[in-house]
Amino acid sequence: MLESPSLFGYFIGAVQALTLVVLAPLFTGIMRKVKSRTQKRIGASVLQPYYDLAKLNRKDEVVSDQSSWIFRFAPIVILTSTATAAVFVPAFLPSSPFGIAGDILVVLGLFALARFFTILAGLDVASSFGGLGASREMTISAIVEPALFLTIFVVSLNLGGTNLSTIVSASSAQFASGVIILPSMLFALIAFFVIMMAETGRIPFDNPATHLELTMIHEAMVLEYSGRSLAMIQLSQSIKLAVLMTIFVNIFVPAGMSTAAGGAYAAVGVVVFVVKLALVAAMVAFTETRVAKWRFFRLPDLLAVAIASSMLGIIYFYFWR
Amino acid sequence: MIFTDNYSGLFLTAIVLLLAGAAASLALRRGRMGSIASFVPAFGASVLLIAFSVMVITSQSKLQTSDAFWSSIPELSIDLYVDGMSAFFLLILGLVTLAVSIYSIGYCSHYNRDSRSLGFLFNLFVLSMVIVIASNSVFSFLIFWELMSLSSFFLVIYEHEEELNIRSGMMYLIMTHIGTAFILASFLALFVQTGSLSFDSFRNHALPMPHYIRDIAFILAFIGFGAKAGLVPLHIWLPKAHPSAPSNISALMSAVMVKVAIYGLVRTTFDFAAPSTAEDVWWGVTLIIAGSASSIIGILYAAVENDIKRALAYSTIENVGVIVLGIGISAVFQSFHLASLAAFALLASMYHSLNHATFKSLLFMGAGSVVFSTHTKNIEKLGGLIKKMPWTALLFLIGAIAISGLPPLNGFVSEWLLLQSFLSSYHIPSLALQVLISLAGVVIALTIGLTLATFVKIFGITFLARPRSEAAKSSHEVPRTMLAGMAMTAAMCVILGIMPVIATSLISNSFRLDGNQLPQTLSPFAALAAPAGASSNMSPGSLALMLGCVGAFAIGVFSIGGRKTTRRIYSTWDCGFEGLDERMQYTASALSQPIRVIFRTLYKPYSDSEVSYFSESNHYLKKNARVEVYTRDLFDDLFYRPVTRATIAVLDAVRKMQTGKINAYLMYIMIALIALLVYAGVSR
Repeated sequence: MLESPSLFGYFIGAVQALTLVVLAPLFTGIMRKVKSRTQKRIGASVLQPYYDLAKLNRKDEVVSDQSSWIFRFAPIVILTSTATAAVFVPAFLPSSPFGIAGDILVVLGLFALARFFTILAGLDVASSFGGLGASREMTISAIVEPALFLTIFVVSLNLGGTNLSTIVSASSAQFASGVIILPSMLFALIAFFVIMMAETGRIPFDNPATHLELTMIHEAMVLEYSGRSLAMIQLSQSIKLAVLMTIFVNIFVPAGMSTAAGGAYAAVGVVVFVVKLALVAAMVAFTETRVAKWRFFRLPDLLAVAIASSMLGIIYFYFWR
Repeated sequence: MIFTDNYSGLFLTAIVLLLAGAAASLALRRGRMGSIASFVPAFGASVLLIAFSVMVITSQSKLQTSDAFWSSIPELSIDLYVDGMSAFFLLILGLVTLAVSIYSIGYCSHYNRDSRSLGFLFNLFVLSMVIVIASNSVFSFLIFWELMSLSSFFLVIYEHEEELNIRSGMMYLIMTHIGTAFILASFLALFVQTGSLSFDSFRNHALPMPHYIRDIAFILAFIGFGAKAGLVPLHIWLPKAHPSAPSNISALMSAVMVKVAIYGLVRTTFDFAAPSTAEDVWWGVTLIIAGSASSIIGILYAAVENDIKRALAYSTIENVGVIVLGIGISAVFQSFHLASLAAFALLASMYHSLNHATFKSLLFMGAGSVVFSTHTKNIEKLGGLIKKMPWTALLFLIGAIAISGLPPLNGFVSEWLLLQSFLSSYHIPSLALQVLISLAGVVIALTIGLTLATFVKIFGITFLARPRSEAAKSSHEVPRTMLAGMAMTAAMCVILGIMPVIATSLISNSFRLDGNQLPQTLSPFAALAAPAGASSNMSPGSLALMLGCVGAFAIGVFSIGGRKTTRRIYSTWDCGFEGLDERMQYTASALSQPIRVIFRTLYKPYSDSEVSYFSESNHYLKKNARVEVYTRDLFDDLFYRPVTRATIAVLDAVRKMQTGKINAYLMYIMIALIALLVYAGVSR
C-alpha cells in the first residue's frame, strides 16, 4: 500500500498531469507532420492542433434539432474522463501521487466511459452516419477488451500489480539493473501496440483523417459536433493518444526515467519524456503510412493476433519464470 | 416461534406485514387503494428486513428458533436460522423489494385489469423468498422453495391471454422442478450421511463426511441451484419467463430470486460441503467453467436481442455467470488453503451480487416504464423517448452505465475486484489452473466489452434519436411513484459506486471474511486494495471527487479561453439530400450486425427479406425492401430439441406396451413376479 503523499507531492502530480494534457496536441501535430513528410507533403505546422483548438473554441456551435441533452453533455463527460485518466499516469516522474485513487484498470474504465458517451452522442443525432460509427466503435471496443486484459495480466505478473506508479517504478528499476526487456513483456509489447492503434482509431483500424463516410468510425460519431464541443472532443482524442503512448513508453521502454526525486532529475525526466513520446508518435505515424486500412471484418483477426501474443506472454511467464 | 435474540421482532413483524399485505390485496378492489393496500405493507416489511439484516450483520450475531415450531415431528419443523450469510441475502431482498414495492404502486394502479391476485402473489412471493433464506431445515427450505416457484409461476402467466406467456410459464415450471429434484437429491445425499434433515447437522457434520458424499452433494446442488439461477445450459427458461412476467415481477425475479439460488449454492458449497483439500479443486473448476460459459453466452445473446426485457434477462444470465465465476475462483483458492485470496474473490462475487440486484432491478423497472408508456417491448419501434420521458431516461442511463461497469458507478467496483482476483491467480500452485483462470479472464474481459455494446444499443435505440413509431411519439412520463422506485435503486448504484467501504465492510462481516485486505475506516475516500503480493489499489470516492474537479477545471479553461459563443439549432447534416426521416436512422438490428457477423457460428443468423420493384423487368429500381434478421438459440438446436425428440421417441416405444388388454397386463405381472423371484433367489 502506498503512503499518502505530501501536499507538495500532490502539487507535483498535478503539474505532471497538466503537462501531459497541455503537450497532448503537440504529439498529434508531430504525428500529422511525420505522416505528411512520409507522403512527400510538407504538412501543417506541428502546432496546428493548438491553432485548431483555439479557433474552434471561438466559433459558434450548430446543434442538431433531433439531439437531446446527451449530445450537449457528452463532450464535457468525454473531456473530463480522458483528462482525469491523465492524472493517474506517471509521465516523467516514476510515480503519480494520485495513484492511490486509480490504477491502469481505472484509466481504461475512464476511457470506456468516454467511449460510452461518444457512441451515445453518435446515435443521438438521428443520422445514419452516427449509427454507422456507433456500430463499428462498439464492436471494435468489445473485441479489444480481451486483448487488453491479457496484456495487463502479463504486465501485472511481471511488474507486480496494476498500480501504474508501481509498474513504472518496477520497470525503470529493472531497466536500471540492466534488463532491457523480459521475453514475456516483449509479447505484451506487441499486443499493446496493436491495442493502442485500435483504441485511438489509427490505421489499420480507422483513419483519423478521413471524412469518407464508408470508412470512418470515430469521425462518423462526432460528425455533428462543431465549435467548442468539437474542440473538447479533439482535445480528448489527443489526450487519449498521449496517455496510451505514455503508458506504452513508461512500461516497455523505461530508458531515461528518473528514479530519484529532485528538481534536476525532474527536468531531465521532462526532456527525456518528450523526446521518447515524440519518437513513439513518429513510429505510430510511420506505421500508419506503411499499412492500408483493413476491411472492418478482418479487424478481429488482427486483435486475435494481439490476444495470442499476450497469451504467449502469460505462458512464457509461467513456464520460464 | 421463539427466537433466541433481540431483533427477532423486526423479522417476525416483516413476515406478519407480508401476510397482511397478501390478505389486504385480496380483500380490496382494484385501483389506487388496492395498489396501496398490496404494496405499502411490502414496503414496510422491506424496511424492517433491511434494519433486521443490518443489525444481524453488524452485531455478528445469529438468530435461531429455540424450539421447533411444530416440535411433535422434528423432521417437519419450520426451523429458522439467520446468520451473516442469510442476513446478507435478506438485505439484498429488502433493498430491492423496497424500491420495487414503491414502483408497483404506480405501475399496478394503472394496469387496466384486476390487480388483486397480482398483489396477493407479490406478497406471497416475497414472503417465500424471505423464509427460504432463513430456513434451517430441508423441510421448510423445500416447502418455501416450492411456494417461491409456484407464486412466481403464476406471476409469469399473469397475462395469460397471450399464449406465449403460458408457454414460457410451462417451460419455467418444468425447469424449476427439475432443479428442485436435484436440490432434494443433494440434501438427501447429506441426509444419508448425517441422519438428520436439519441444516445444523449438515453444517456440523459430526462424522467426518466421506469425500464422495460431499462430491455428490455438491454436484447435485450445483445443478439444482444452477437451474434456478439460470446457468448455461439450464438457462433456457430464463429469457422466456422473465420477460413474460409483469415488469415489477421481472425485477424481483431477476434481482432477487436468482440471488436466492446463489444463496443456496454458496450455502451448500461453503457451509455444508466446504472445499478444503486439493482434491476438491474440481468444484471450483466446474464453477469457473460454468460461470465463464454463462457470462459470455448470456451477453452474446443479449447483444443481438431487440426485445428490451429479453435482452435484460439474457444479461442476467451473464451476471449470474460472473457471480458464479467469482465463487468458483474463491473455491479454487480455498482448496489450496489460500484463505485471504479466497475471501477476496468471494467479496468480489458477493459485491457483484449486490450490485446486480440494484442495477438490474433499476433496468427492469425502467423497461417496465417504457412498456407502460409505449405498450411495446421491441426497441426497433422506439426511439426519442428521452424527450418524452426525461426522468425515466436519466434513471435508465444511470443503470446502463452501472451495468456496463464504468466508473464511477458500482458495476466498476465489483468488476475491478473480480479482475484483481483473476490477477492474483499466480499464487495457485498449478500451471494448468493458472492458464485456465487467465483464459476465464479473457472471457470476462470480452463479456465486459460486449456489455457496453449491449447497453449502449439498448439505451441509444430506445431513448435517443427520432421516434420510430406512433407509440413512441405519443409516449409520456410515468407516475411519480414509479420514478421514485427507480430513483431509489439509482441512488444505490451511485452510493455503492463511490463508497464501496459500506458494501465491503457489510460483506466481510456477513461472511466473516479475512478483513485485513479491506479498508478499515469508513471514509468514502479510503482505497480498495488487491490481495497481498500485488500492488493494486483504487479509491472510487477520490475518483469521483477528481472527476468533479477536473470537469470543473476543464469547463473553466474552455470558457475563459474563448469568447462568448452562441448555439444555433439546425437540422442534422443530410449530405444536402433534404429530409432525413426516422427510417434512415440506424436500427437496433443494424447496430448489432457486426457482432452478429463476427460470432455467426453461435447465432446461425438467418434473414427473411422481401423486395418489390417498380417494374419486374428492371431490378435496379427498388420500390420497397424489407429485411428481418433472426438468430437461433444454439442450446435449443443442439441440446434441448434432440433431448425432447429422444424422450418422445422412447415414450412412444414404451406406450406400445399399453395395449388395453387385461391378459397382456396379467402377463406383465407374471413376468415381473418371476423376475423378482429369480432376483431374490440369486441375491440369497
